[in-house]
Amino acid sequence: MHWRLFATLAETAGEDRVSVDDAETVGEALDALLSAHPALESEVLDDDGSLVDHIRLLHDGDDPFAAGDGLDTPVSPGDELALFPPVSGG
Amino acid sequence: MHVLGVAGPSDAGKTTLVERVCERLAERGRVATIKHCTHAPDVDTEGKDTARHRAAGAAVSYGLADDAWFATGGDRGLDETLDELARSYDYAVVEGYSGARIPTVALGGRDHAGRRLAAGETASDVDAAALVEALHDCEPYETLGSLVARIKASSDSDRAGAIATFTGRVRERDDHDDTPTEYLEFEKYEGVAEEQLATIRDDLCARDGVFEVALHHRTGIVEAGEDIVFVVVLAGHRREAFRAVEDGIDRLKEEVPLFKKEVTVEDAVWAHER
Repeated sequence: MHWRLFATLAETAGEDRVSVDDAETVGEALDALLSAHPALESEVLDDDGSLVDHIRLLHDGDDPFAAGDGLDTPVSPGDELALFPPVSGG
Repeated sequence: MHVLGVAGPSDAGKTTLVERVCERLAERGRVATIKHCTHAPDVDTEGKDTARHRAAGAAVSYGLADDAWFATGGDRGLDETLDELARSYDYAVVEGYSGARIPTVALGGRDHAGRRLAAGETASDVDAAALVEALHDCEPYETLGSLVARIKASSDSDRAGAIATFTGRVRERDDHDDTPTEYLEFEKYEGVAEEQLATIRDDLCARDGVFEVALHHRTGIVEAGEDIVFVVVLAGHRREAFRAVEDGIDRLKEEVPLFKKEVTVEDAVWAHER
């Protein structure tokens, strides 16, 4: 599976696509992403280690917090996860 | 309208490639072409009526016959030409504008500004069929006019008494003292952005009295003064039309994964950082 990163998150990580192996849940995939790019932590996690409110996370285009089990949502190889700051189109 | 650029040096076969592409595209829709000419084209004849109109001060003159026409004029740029064509044509094939930010086939190693769809030494190195398919995967060139034309073609247009539109454009400055914005750059989460736009469109079309809705947001660089986003609604009456336009742009700004970076002479800042 892989992460798509956008805007400032892609700039911080230095890439816009990060592959992850061996993750069974969204939470594990997120941990793997942050291990690979620790500089992202200050942008996406708050002091408690949970995801900052304004950062959006999508799993195959859907919001796992709205329609799934949040960080416990299971993931499969080939899934696409995405992490981005507030949208700013228009 | 899908726009395709063909760039390359003079002996690389640009025109041959344009011919091959036009034949294929003409099977699927209406095709226009634009060619960059280094010398003024010799179209009219001195002494003919249209030439006399020009000589008398007309900036542009059209000669219209039953099934053919021509026009002559002075300066004309690529962008304004594409804007006019977008309303009525499905494809524009552009020969010789390597500096244009349009999807491009590069022949003979020619450098170009837009997204590269294919490259080759000469026309015979390019697979025209694959090129045409790749073109359809590119973001189309839309204007307010092309979207209005599209919604007018709705099968419900006979019951539609109202068209309302919104155009978002690049504001050069908020105040007189502001550092002027040179351009905005938009990044998109492809696939998901389109799905979200389609959801918004479907939700609005489901409303009573709303017959057709089109939304389009450009990506990449959009310069100061240019248009960024359009929301266009065809409805039975004005109340539904105005409301759908407003809700459409509000939802787009709230929900669609697009990211704006603002570039001035001084710096480049992502909108969400403000």
